[in-house]
Amino acid sequence: MTCADCLESLGAFIDEELTADAAARVREHLGTCTDCAAAHRRLVDTSSRLKAALVRYEAPDVLKARIRANLAESTGPVAAQRVPLPASRGSGWQRSVAAAAVVAIVSSALTFVATRQNTSGSSVEEQVLSSHIRSLMPGHLTDVASNDQHNVKPWFNGRVNMSPDVPRLDSLGFPLVGGRVDYIEGRNVASVIYMRRQHVINVFSWPASGADDLSQSASTTNGYNLIRARHNGVEIWIVSDLNRRELEAFSRLLIPGR
Amino acid sequence: MAEQQVQRFEQLVLPHLDDAYTLARYLLRDEHDAQDAVQNAVLRALRHFEGFRHGDPRAWLLTIVRNCCYDWHKGRMERSTVSFNESEAESIADSRATDDLVIEGTEQERIRAAVDALPAELREVIVLRELNELSYREISEVVGAPMGTVMSRLSRARNRLAAVLGDGSRKAS
Repeated sequence: MTCADCLESLGAFIDEELTADAAARVREHLGTCTDCAAAHRRLVDTSSRLKAALVRYEAPDVLKARIRANLAESTGPVAAQRVPLPASRGSGWQRSVAAAAVVAIVSSALTFVATRQNTSGSSVEEQVLSSHIRSLMPGHLTDVASNDQHNVKPWFNGRVNMSPDVPRLDSLGFPLVGGRVDYIEGRNVASVIYMRRQHVINVFSWPASGADDLSQSASTTNGYNLIRARHNGVEIWIVSDLNRRELEAFSRLLIPGR
Repeated sequence: MAEQQVQRFEQLVLPHLDDAYTLARYLLRDEHDAQDAVQNAVLRALRHFEGFRHGDPRAWLLTIVRNCCYDWHKGRMERSTVSFNESEAESIADSRATDDLVIEGTEQERIRAAVDALPAELREVIVLRELNELSYREISEVVGAPMGTVMSRLSRARNRLAAVLGDGSRKAS
């Protein structure tokens, strides 16, 4: 083997990509040629220093949460799209079927709520809860999927008559997933979606009609926790199947001064 | 898409998110761009998953991630000062090589700076080989170049990095 042939094969040699025969010829040459042996040592040194010094990254939780949200949506009637518009969500009959399913699922929960609260008709709490459950159905979680508040916040312009707060809370373990428009109390309301591990958190908000009510209330219905607050003229409902303690921690991050 | 199909996708593809993100981080050199590119790539992969029958799912995903990174970069070309174009990237590499950036700092920082300064076609083979530990055949599939080309790029990349790193005498410092 000539030195030129040897040097040309060194890379494949250290990467164990040569056939057994070819590797044996290189090894034999390295035993007899000090120049090529030095080149071999340099190459092994470079490769091992690269391996040791370069970071192998782990996909961040926020990225995994976004991907999980995308995958959850993709099991629905429409293939996942980066920023699906509300109008693109499924055809009419598919939506009707989904809506019927929601009614079936939600009605049992609502009986419970109605009995407990002894209220008639559809209370805000019921509407918020059913919106949350609907959002968990395939294809309904987000109208705009993004972990960037600078994409989510402006997306609401012209879709709802207020601009919801969309703080970035990834570093605190609540990655932003996206936004959506829902219909509650006869108007379009903003829903901002966060994740906590596998749990979806929906934050609904709309302009409050009455005076600020600093008290906030919390309740639990069929395993869902709801927190309600009124802050700076905005009615806010936070809903999730996340445990009460973490959801309250989240509400304190979301609504400053509480 | 059927739920079963999505489950199969999750089992085959999602275990390779770290590899996907690592490749995107080195290609785009920005954590947020890398996240967007990987998210896009996974969606693209999902859309084309029915066409994926056999082969290595990791190499398949990395191929799509690479394409998304290049598309992403193409989309920002006007605003970007760093180019994937080899000649421009080389001039950046040259200017950086004489910089304190490469000479000072820990070995880890110097190596990272040297890798970042490589033109993309050399950087990607280094990452695919040294970090993702793909075989030459898999690298050839991911970058869409013949094995011989992969070998020569890898060799050029290592030679350049060896020149920047010196003979290892700084290793102790």
